[in-house]
Amino acid sequence: MKKGIGFMLALLLVFLLIVSGNAAPKKDTSWEEIAKRGYFVLGLDDSFPPMGFRDDKGQIVGFDIDVAKAVCQRLGIELKLQPINWDAKEQELNTKNIDCIWNGLTITPERKKNVLFTKPYMDNRQVIVVRADSGLASLSALAGKTLGLQAGSSAKDALNNVPDFEASLANVIEFDENMTALMDLELGGLDAVLMDEIVARYYIQQRNKNFMVLDEALASEEYGIGFRKNDQALMEKFQNTLIAMAEDGTLAAISKAWFGEDITVINR
Amino acid sequence: MFIFEYFAPLLKQVILLGTGALTTLRIFFLTLLFSLPLGLLIALARMAPQKWLSAPVKLFILIMRGTPLILQLIFFYFAPSAILPEGLRFTLPRFSAAVLAFSLNYAAYFAEIYRGGIESIPQGQYEAAAVLGFTKSQTFFRIILPQVIKRILPPVSNEVITLVKDSALITVLGISELFRVARNEANRLFSTSPLFIAGLFYLFMNWIVTKLFDAAEKKLSYYR
Repeated sequence: MKKGIGFMLALLLVFLLIVSGNAAPKKDTSWEEIAKRGYFVLGLDDSFPPMGFRDDKGQIVGFDIDVAKAVCQRLGIELKLQPINWDAKEQELNTKNIDCIWNGLTITPERKKNVLFTKPYMDNRQVIVVRADSGLASLSALAGKTLGLQAGSSAKDALNNVPDFEASLANVIEFDENMTALMDLELGGLDAVLMDEIVARYYIQQRNKNFMVLDEALASEEYGIGFRKNDQALMEKFQNTLIAMAEDGTLAAISKAWFGEDITVINR
Repeated sequence: MFIFEYFAPLLKQVILLGTGALTTLRIFFLTLLFSLPLGLLIALARMAPQKWLSAPVKLFILIMRGTPLILQLIFFYFAPSAILPEGLRFTLPRFSAAVLAFSLNYAAYFAEIYRGGIESIPQGQYEAAAVLGFTKSQTFFRIILPQVIKRILPPVSNEVITLVKDSALITVLGISELFRVARNEANRLFSTSPLFIAGLFYLFMNWIVTKLFDAAEKKLSYYR
């Protein structure tokens, strides 16, 4: 048995040596590679309306999807949509299974270490959704209550950044998807859900639910498109196309179709 | 007319879930195709008197049964491009990685079921076969294995039924199968009914599996 453990340790050591070996810096051909390949893979959590989600035919639609389609058309490449598990988004990106994360991805200092972001294209806040008849109207009223949020989302970071509020809660429950949390809120299993304002407002409006967004937000944040750390050229190509689309009004038109007004910020 | 209005969306949902169920069935059949024969090989290697053969197989079974299947799925998909040296890195297609993880995992469980079955056959049968002039492989395939299959049907049916339900784990690789489609529908409609419809799908599939195993058991009980 001892022999076996020694063997496993040796194996582990070999793995570590391989992993730690640094590759020499190379010329950035990220855009050329995509252009040559002819398609671009966008990774998303397909249950994130209105940014990216499935319609009643099972097709992936959304604001981000419409913008991505327009960008790829201008760049003359095909857009491929790849649903991913949101918890594994950084691995999916770094193992080149997807070329970007474009799905209402909040720019956080933590994520910036692993992901190369474009300029922000939309503002967002982390807000608290409660049942309209619950009588809860402020953060302090949530003391001793149960809060739900999406695992691996920036809502979790926002909550961690307000330790006093987090400590005042009785319970924090993490769900795979925002929508499951909202369902639980409706059933009374949760007292509040912490989530992206853009998603919350769209949902309440679309579903005509008896929910309410608290005025007090937990954090202000921005959405960006996440690329691989080394893909500077690819990121700039997309960013410049987005800016061009903002200048000629294409982006505003897509925003109006989804939100009724232009709420994009990339050109500001 | 009223009935039509009520059933049309339901029918649409059933069709949508049906397309998801196709992925579930694909992973199900491919896993069985690979894991049932592989399990037998692993069982034989596990019982081999040569230590160099049985020891690594024992370790393999320990790992495959001792770690969560969901972790194995993630491992086979992400690890090749994360831990291999530059130049050797590759990524399996999502679905292939899922089939690989499922096949190896289920083969480990099947192997132990086969071993239980094989070891339950009395030694005297081998001796009798040898006396009658059967070769080793003839003894195994013509005398031992048919009896083993008969004995292991109930535990195998357990695993096969679990496999139908475990297939829902592949969503961890972003593959859209029955349960994922149902969850998306539930989110879109803000209703749990698609989840329960998915439950009926699983129940129906396992009803068929159960019936098939019943039929197989009846067919093989020729000495009773």
